[in-house]
Amino acid sequence: MRARDTMSYAFGAIRLRKLRSGLTTLGIVIGIAAIVALMSFTQGFQVAIESQFQEGFSTDTVIVSTGFLGFGSNSDFTLYVNDTNYINTIDNVETSAAILSRSCTADLGNMTRVLGVTGVNYTAYEIMYSTFVAERGAIPAVPSNDSAVIGHGVYDPFGNGTIEADVGDTILLSYSVRNGTSLVYINKTVTVVAVLAEIGAFGLGPSDSGFYIPIETAVEYFDTDVVSQIVVKLVDDSEAMVTSTSDAIKALFSNMVSVTSPTALLATISSALGLVSILIAGIAGISLLVAGIGIMNIMIVSLIERTREIGILKALGAKGRTVLAVFLTEAGLIGLIGAVAGILLGALLGNLIGIGVSAMMSGDGGFGGMGGGGGSSFGGFRMAFAPVVTPSLILLALFFGVVVSLVFALYPARRASKLTPVDALRSE
Amino acid sequence: MGQVKVEALRGVTFDIDRGELVSILGPSGSGKSTLLNMIGALDRPTSGNIVIEGVDASTLSDNKLAEMRKRVGFVFQFFNLIPRLDAKANVELPLAIAGLPSRERTRKAEEALKRVGLGDRMRHKSSELSGGERQRVAVARALVTEPSFLLMDEPTGNLDSVSAGEMMDLVVDLNSSKNMTAVIVTHNQEISDRTKRTMRMRDGRIVSDQVT
Repeated sequence: MRARDTMSYAFGAIRLRKLRSGLTTLGIVIGIAAIVALMSFTQGFQVAIESQFQEGFSTDTVIVSTGFLGFGSNSDFTLYVNDTNYINTIDNVETSAAILSRSCTADLGNMTRVLGVTGVNYTAYEIMYSTFVAERGAIPAVPSNDSAVIGHGVYDPFGNGTIEADVGDTILLSYSVRNGTSLVYINKTVTVVAVLAEIGAFGLGPSDSGFYIPIETAVEYFDTDVVSQIVVKLVDDSEAMVTSTSDAIKALFSNMVSVTSPTALLATISSALGLVSILIAGIAGISLLVAGIGIMNIMIVSLIERTREIGILKALGAKGRTVLAVFLTEAGLIGLIGAVAGILLGALLGNLIGIGVSAMMSGDGGFGGMGGGGGSSFGGFRMAFAPVVTPSLILLALFFGVVVSLVFALYPARRASKLTPVDALRSE
Repeated sequence: MGQVKVEALRGVTFDIDRGELVSILGPSGSGKSTLLNMIGALDRPTSGNIVIEGVDASTLSDNKLAEMRKRVGFVFQFFNLIPRLDAKANVELPLAIAGLPSRERTRKAEEALKRVGLGDRMRHKSSELSGGERQRVAVARALVTEPSFLLMDEPTGNLDSVSAGEMMDLVVDLNSSKNMTAVIVTHNQEISDRTKRTMRMRDGRIVSDQVT
């Protein structure tokens, strides 16, 4: 039988049992849609994270900290503000900036917010990060003790023109320390000298929700010269130089510090997200497996119902492989139709999830900037997700839809092909 | 399926020449359908030989048997049409299995249906046809491949006497005009009377073989 005739014959058999074929196809549709929706979403998420990162950090910087980016330090080693002087002596280091940050309550116009107040060297920060530029006011080269540079999200927290803090405004910062069993509030008034241009991304560097004061002011105000991180700018971003300089910095501090390159960090995050993506696809794959068993079931029922028909085909000269081809084509068509519908549904679902998550994330108090130099304050951060349905994802979904159908139809199809015409014709 | 072996045929030996019109007459269970299935390459003997056009069918592989079936026109008592297909598609089926292109199939199927008097019923499904018409579709399907011989298993068993008569007219005509070999299994004496040679079977044996 010609391939086209086999296809048309198989399609006729599917059409005859519309409801049953439809329900079987639905199993594949759900399985494929789940895979496509989840994978397109995680891929979209990955792309969004990567692009945000790439916008938000400089590849020619490394971060020196006592733990992994200041988290979970397992040593009692301490970095001090003046350690930048030692770091600056290392070859290939252009400059470095100590980061001293603490959560403070800030009285802004009509609202009080908890912000991460970060003490930095304005000049060094400007060299390191292209995003540390003033949109309003000017970042002073020699800052006064009470100057403050604020992120765009502090200036306009709702993104709708409701200005809460502007150049020239004085802001009262306060944080508490314990004195015995009571809390003592330590206050400081600062004056906004500059508002940063909107960054839009998050990463290891300035952020829209950042609040920056001179490092000397921070040392005095927070009453400490212990810093969590020192950001180091290198003369270029070649991998060899990043590695050798990182090693030199570690050696300088007797290997008691960790030196993280943003590029390496991004690679780690990407690979972790990739793993999550595979895990999620695996879970979705279970539904595809169930759909496959559904196909096997339906094909066995079909085989029993159509034994006589198989006998007729064989009596008319059809070989076993023709019958095998008819059955496998039926299953393959169900798989193909299910996969195509599943891809469309999955892409739709992925978009809906993307819209939902984007809406959640753009809300005030949503996802915050990553640690780093910007200080981790939350809110005012916007991030849009668009699920990514790549051609390879489409091909993968089509492949799995059809292959799962074929694999599960193989047993009933082989049984059908092995029937002898006399026995098959005898069946009621 | 049981484990007890039943000998449906025993010591059956005969030859059928090209162009003969033969009936095999016998009561139910006499082995006549089993014999026809073997002649038509639908079944294999457990022992003995069946030589069709010089080829020993009893030793052929499944695929070779399938090839041999393409040269046989088979008509069954219960028509064995595929219900979801219309008359034309049913008749086209053996041609599709043989891999003929669509246009040629259509032409041959239409010719065969016209030959059995169903030129105006081609688009009807078997459920929309009478018993006689269904059997004529089955005959058209058997003839469309221009087989070497026609095997009919109780072809009039489910037909009224008028339809049965028409069916036999058709077979006798094909035999005489096209010199087509035909073997008809029946338990109906009237059908048997219209053939030139009658073999009578009982308990798996041929008890008589008469040429009139």
